[in-house]
Amino acid sequence: MTNASSANMENVIEEKNQDMAISARNINVVYSTPTGQIPAVRNVDIDLPKGSITGIIGESGSGKSTLIMAIMNAVTKPGKIESGSVILDGKEDMLKLSTEQQRKIRGKKIGFVFQAAQNSLNPLRRVGQQILDLGRSHDVKDLRALIKYAKELLMRLGLDADRVLASYQHELSGGMRQRVGIMFALVLNADIVFLDESTTALDMLSQASVLEIIRELQKEKKLTIALVSHDIGVIADLSERIEIFYAGEIVEEGKTDDVLANPQHPYTRGLIRAIPKISGDIDSAEPLKGASPDYKTYQQPGCLFYDRCPIRTDECLKKRPDLTHIGKSHKVACFRVGVHD
Amino acid sequence: MGTTSTMKSIKQFNPKAYQRQSFWRAAWKAISRKPGRLVGFIIIVIFTLMAIVGPYLFPKELPIDPNAIYAPLSWKYPLGTDFEGTSNLALIITGARYVLLAAALGALFTVVFGTVLGLVAGYFLGWSDSVIMRITDFFLTVPSFPLLVVLSTVWNFGHPLAMGFILGITGWGGMARAVRSQTLSLRERGFIEAARGLGLSPFYILFREILPNVSSYIGMNLLTSITGCIYAEVGLFFLGVVPFHVNNWGVMLNMAVFSAGAMSSPSALPYLLSPLLALLILTLGIVLFLDAVDEMFNPRLREDA
Amino acid sequence: MIEIKNLEKYFTIKAKFSDRKIVHAVRRASLTIPDGGAVSLIGESGCGKTTIGRMLCGMETPSEGTIIINGQDISKLRRGARARLLQKIQLIHQDPYQALNPTHTIQQMMSATLKKMARQKKKGAEWISQRTNELLKLVGLDPSTILFKYPHMLSGGQKQRVIIARALTVEPEMLVADEVVSMIDVSLRLGILKLLRSLREKFNISILFITHDIASARYLGSNTELYVVYKGMIIEKGLTEQVIRQPHHPYTQALLSAMPILKGIEKPGKDRFVLTSQFRQSEEEQVGCLFADRCPFSQPICSEKRPELISQGNSTDAYACFFPEIRDVAAVSVDH
Repeated sequence: MTNASSANMENVIEEKNQDMAISARNINVVYSTPTGQIPAVRNVDIDLPKGSITGIIGESGSGKSTLIMAIMNAVTKPGKIESGSVILDGKEDMLKLSTEQQRKIRGKKIGFVFQAAQNSLNPLRRVGQQILDLGRSHDVKDLRALIKYAKELLMRLGLDADRVLASYQHELSGGMRQRVGIMFALVLNADIVFLDESTTALDMLSQASVLEIIRELQKEKKLTIALVSHDIGVIADLSERIEIFYAGEIVEEGKTDDVLANPQHPYTRGLIRAIPKISGDIDSAEPLKGASPDYKTYQQPGCLFYDRCPIRTDECLKKRPDLTHIGKSHKVACFRVGVHD
Repeated sequence: MGTTSTMKSIKQFNPKAYQRQSFWRAAWKAISRKPGRLVGFIIIVIFTLMAIVGPYLFPKELPIDPNAIYAPLSWKYPLGTDFEGTSNLALIITGARYVLLAAALGALFTVVFGTVLGLVAGYFLGWSDSVIMRITDFFLTVPSFPLLVVLSTVWNFGHPLAMGFILGITGWGGMARAVRSQTLSLRERGFIEAARGLGLSPFYILFREILPNVSSYIGMNLLTSITGCIYAEVGLFFLGVVPFHVNNWGVMLNMAVFSAGAMSSPSALPYLLSPLLALLILTLGIVLFLDAVDEMFNPRLREDA
Repeated sequence: MIEIKNLEKYFTIKAKFSDRKIVHAVRRASLTIPDGGAVSLIGESGCGKTTIGRMLCGMETPSEGTIIINGQDISKLRRGARARLLQKIQLIHQDPYQALNPTHTIQQMMSATLKKMARQKKKGAEWISQRTNELLKLVGLDPSTILFKYPHMLSGGQKQRVIIARALTVEPEMLVADEVVSMIDVSLRLGILKLLRSLREKFNISILFITHDIASARYLGSNTELYVVYKGMIIEKGLTEQVIRQPHHPYTQALLSAMPILKGIEKPGKDRFVLTSQFRQSEEEQVGCLFADRCPFSQPICSEKRPELISQGNSTDAYACFFPEIRDVAAVSVDH
């Protein structure tokens, strides 16, 4: 333990030197429900290095979308950000800005593609009009240039730009709407983009081409991207680093290939074993055991994964493990690192 | 909604199950959650009691007091008196039965006709839809209030049942259209298709699968059409087109305006205002209570865990 | 056994005013599913795979072609007999959030059909509750905690299990599983797939599995056949594992290439390519190969003549391509 924590300290110092587009510390979000307070996000530290793609994996209801909303300071009731700081570009704290300043940053600096980007367009206005609305609300002087840029982006996304600008939402297919959503996130030159389950509703070929476009645009514009999904496949394919999210906490993080090839947390291992894969032995695949965390899980003092863990000990029930370094950038929150089931 | 026979058998092997909540308990929870709803509920209960027991509280012929004609508000006459010196409060209470019973029956007819016809038209489509909708259109185009005025000169509305029936007949068109359109959108939903695939009967699908999904809508319509019916019948009495067999709020309004000259003489004002106040409070009660209806019928909103 | 022969389906879509557009949704599809067998239909959304499933369940009427269930041509049967036969084929909906009535508890859903079965079998209320428990347990749910819950209290995976349990109440011989795992979390998919597999193995229930995700088709047990559908036409078929490892048709290869690579566990096949052009329902009828306009390997002849689905030798494999070539596109495991 002591060794691990001292290693932890060194690495923290090292990380600080790297340029971070977003550096969130100690984020806590609590939901008030009739049954009591549920910590949807608990003590989460997360860094998005400039120009990188970070993947956040979690089951539905694990709090991964809440985390993104917290970073944008857009948590809605009954949720509330209890504590934490979100430093943008090493400068201002997103959680301390005025609402007007936040609004300016969302859109201009941070783009966002919703989980339901398919339905987030205004059904009564043409796409082109909506771009102009967006430009006006962000005080863009040259609206002509904005439309031109939007067209360019749409073309890059493989769409017929003129047709799309003149269409209403219902005239576009699911895959097209998703691409339009990406265009909206980028059109104001945001350099940080959050993609929340933004390819989940698409079928394989559309998904692959959208992922390909994201990859290209990211390289070209040096975007910082946070990708949120329950689908390990999408995240593993695209991201350089991944964060495994379970019941409101990060349980494992590190370089994607490192974590996938050498998963240390029993949850990560279970998750990888539970995905239908195109390769490998069919019989080695095994569903994740146990039930998703419910409000009782959050109340207990021990490890949140205890109920479902194949390698648990009594210690795990009493104390909750912290995220500790086990490699250069590989961190795990588990007392039983190295034990295999 | 589940039948008692299966309920019994389930209980045998199911000692500490996730307990089934009775509809009434859930309804009470929804009502008591917000004070406004509770106030609405209490108002409705008071008026209902008034309609049920009101006439028994007073002698058949209300006492008249020649010394207290158009008496001002006092402890003896909380709402003043009328042209004969009869207590306005007593008139309101005894007059509630006819008004409320006719309105409730009217609303019930509206809802039953409207729902059944709307469900059938929306689910089966085809010729039944065409026939039902043409009839509906006919009733929708006929201006209902003038029709009521004409009918009331021909028919005798002494009994609230007749009044309610007429109110219902003229009012169900809009309801049928609305239920039909809801049914149309529901019949495309996956669970209706699944029920059809499982070979469940059309009767089951209509009344067990679709109906509960429109029930909150129907409940709200029931309440709003009660207010609509009250206004319609009070309006008929006010205009004086219906013969006055019994005392009721509409009769009071008519007498106050046309006989007592309440518009010009301030002393008769309590006689005019007391039925209006009764109408206002009842409408307020219904409007406040409406808020709870959605929660009572929709299990998703009803959830308390 | 279920046989589909030369099935065709046209939809008429009302465009503007009197304009009508005819969409050819299914083109001469033939397939056979033995008792206890499994067939997967793979394709993009809008390719007609769902229409094939719906025609099989009797929810759409084929424009042409025959559906033969247990030796009986369903179009030749009377209404009652056809309904009884079609009840043996149950559709599992793609959207578990839509397929359960939000105002009913699980117990109400299960007993609705079980009451009917009980009448047929002359059994009492006891049998209904016993069967409800048995079926819920079979699909991996705990009856005591779930019986009086409403659908919105369940997770996506649990809902899908309830839907399967409800379909089993009518004792079907076949399940048409339409995108059953696409709406639920990746981590829960395997559980549902294993359940389908066990239904096959234990109760000899055959499965028609409709999906856009080839990977999930692998988990349905042995002898699962894979049919790749493009614009309503079956363009390649064969045993699942074989099609994945040795795909002949460029479209199948495009689908396989589109699978995301699990960095660190998998490496991409050496011939992997990404198809960026969009799927479009073409305005006028194409003469040549339906895939020619998107195919990276197309030749002039491809847009002039349409290749037929031809079986190769005596195997069950077949593909509809003039220039078939095995390409190594599917990801393979990395050994540590």
